[in-house]
Amino acid sequence: MFEFKNCASIIKSTGKKARNLQELRDYLVEISEESIYHHVYEYFLKGHRLLFTNDFAQWVGDNLEESILAERLSSIDPYIYPDINQLRNTLIETIDAHMKEFPVPREALPGEEFYFNESVTVVYPVGIRVRNIAEFLIAMEHIDRGCIYYHFYEARTRLGSGIDDFSFWIEQTLGKVQLAERIRAIDPFMHDIEGIRLHILELVREEVSRDMESISDVD
Amino acid sequence: MLINKYLGIAPKADIVLIKRLCERLKGGRFLHVNSTRAGGGVAEILHRMIPLLQDLGIDARWEVIEGDKRFFDITKKIHNALQGFDIHLTEQMWNYYLEVNRQNASRLDLDAEVIFIHDPQPAPLIEFRKNTEDFWVWRCHIDLSNPKKEVCDYLMKFYKKYDAAVFSVSNFTRGEKSLEFIIPPSIDPLSDKNIELSEEEIEKLLNPFDLPLDRPIILQVSRFDRFKDPTGVIKAYRMVKRYNDCVLVLAGSPATDDPESEEVLKEVQEQAADDPDIYILMLPPYSDRVINALQRVATVVLQKSIKEGFGLTVSEAMWKGKPVIGGAVGGIPLQIIHRVTGFLVHTIEGAAFRIRQLLNNPELIERMGEAGREHVRENFLITRQIRDYLCIWYYRREGMKSLIEV
Repeated sequence: MFEFKNCASIIKSTGKKARNLQELRDYLVEISEESIYHHVYEYFLKGHRLLFTNDFAQWVGDNLEESILAERLSSIDPYIYPDINQLRNTLIETIDAHMKEFPVPREALPGEEFYFNESVTVVYPVGIRVRNIAEFLIAMEHIDRGCIYYHFYEARTRLGSGIDDFSFWIEQTLGKVQLAERIRAIDPFMHDIEGIRLHILELVREEVSRDMESISDVD
Repeated sequence: MLINKYLGIAPKADIVLIKRLCERLKGGRFLHVNSTRAGGGVAEILHRMIPLLQDLGIDARWEVIEGDKRFFDITKKIHNALQGFDIHLTEQMWNYYLEVNRQNASRLDLDAEVIFIHDPQPAPLIEFRKNTEDFWVWRCHIDLSNPKKEVCDYLMKFYKKYDAAVFSVSNFTRGEKSLEFIIPPSIDPLSDKNIELSEEEIEKLLNPFDLPLDRPIILQVSRFDRFKDPTGVIKAYRMVKRYNDCVLVLAGSPATDDPESEEVLKEVQEQAADDPDIYILMLPPYSDRVINALQRVATVVLQKSIKEGFGLTVSEAMWKGKPVIGGAVGGIPLQIIHRVTGFLVHTIEGAAFRIRQLLNNPELIERMGEAGREHVRENFLITRQIRDYLCIWYYRREGMKSLIEV
């Protein structure tokens, strides 16, 4: 049985704001793990635009117009780090290296500062349970975007090793190892949530077709 | 159930969570206090939210503070000073502000588990708190990013006594208490301003204005004050007009509390005088259905503000499937995803360029309009706001853990 859950995120201010790269870097040293989690991992919950992969890169690119650093920050894969402090160090090192190369930091316009926030995450079942791959296919067509975020993105920090809830259940409960591997091969950075939905639907449809074919063979 | 009216309109997930939270919080007392029962976004939301929560088993109440003209003149000054106007308040004014709140505190039943005090008018009620186990939240709907220091400092003595605060945008937060939440405001898809209208009704509502509905319409709905830059909108329209046929509709009401309002309106009228394609519509209060109809017939909607609280007219227009071109101020960048649901602009030239871009690409209008409606559906409907308020309450009940299962 797979139970679909959703998550809602309520934003909390940390009261800290950065006006330039130096301040961003200095706050990154001391800011809470929750804040880094919010600005990096929860980025995918916000309906992003595929230009960046986290809030830091977006601010640096959009508001400071430092496109070189924005590219570098965007190419950091947060899921390879076993804990947030290692991710924190990489973010700081990336900014340090850039500031060495381009030492004069630009100031953000008033009102466009970077505000460090955290979030309260509320997880809840949406009342949809599926028992087989055909039911899973139907549910995937209709669930809210937040469900896909929770099971595809958030799961990676819960389960580790680039594993999401969908492929975990498909492998462990349904025994469909190849399908699970195909789902794991979807690059989480290269699609928005609707793109993830479409890719999973495509893979699962193929699997269901194959299953149907093999039943006809038996007959 | 009242909440079920939103099924098929708002995200189902939000409705599911509201119901689950209300089951957990059933019978809990949830009080809202503001300064008016009619007019303004806060009252609009409370009118809808309170019965809806009551229907779901919450003991929700809404109290309104009373005051005379002198009191509201003072609170208007406070409001304007917090938005950045250079205003000085005398000691007598502050004393009267506190005294009226003291009288209200003795008159009102302020006993509840969670108490939301909306905006500065009733903020001093915290001084008369009886039970320290209650959870007092100051809900600030106004732009606090650049307040007059002297006034802000005075209010901070009340602010610090609250258990938590809620602001609409990150850059309105104060950084002076550990619990400052950011919850954007919302629109009600079932209100007169946003409900679906039939073609016949739209025609009937707009008939008195004699608008050429067969031509592209550029629309800005706003008060006639300088922060909404109506003269900048006319200049942008004139730049567009050199290349594209279109009409401009500026719809709004005079800003009676703004001393410059008349002057701005005069400037707008003078600029528009010789152009039959500019329509200045002075709408009376409660013209919500007319505004709704105008937004539905518009081709492109502008909100070219140079200072803005949140600017919910952006979400209203996006809900009707319109691309919006807005100034990158206040809450507008939260609503407009640049190049996805509309365009953020910084200059009159930028606004003109983006209008032309849209008028020349009808498929872009459609694509951005659809993306905008979905963005509003997911983020700026009343159900999301109710959900967030309940989440704060539940977060407090559950010992303020950053991850909660419901």
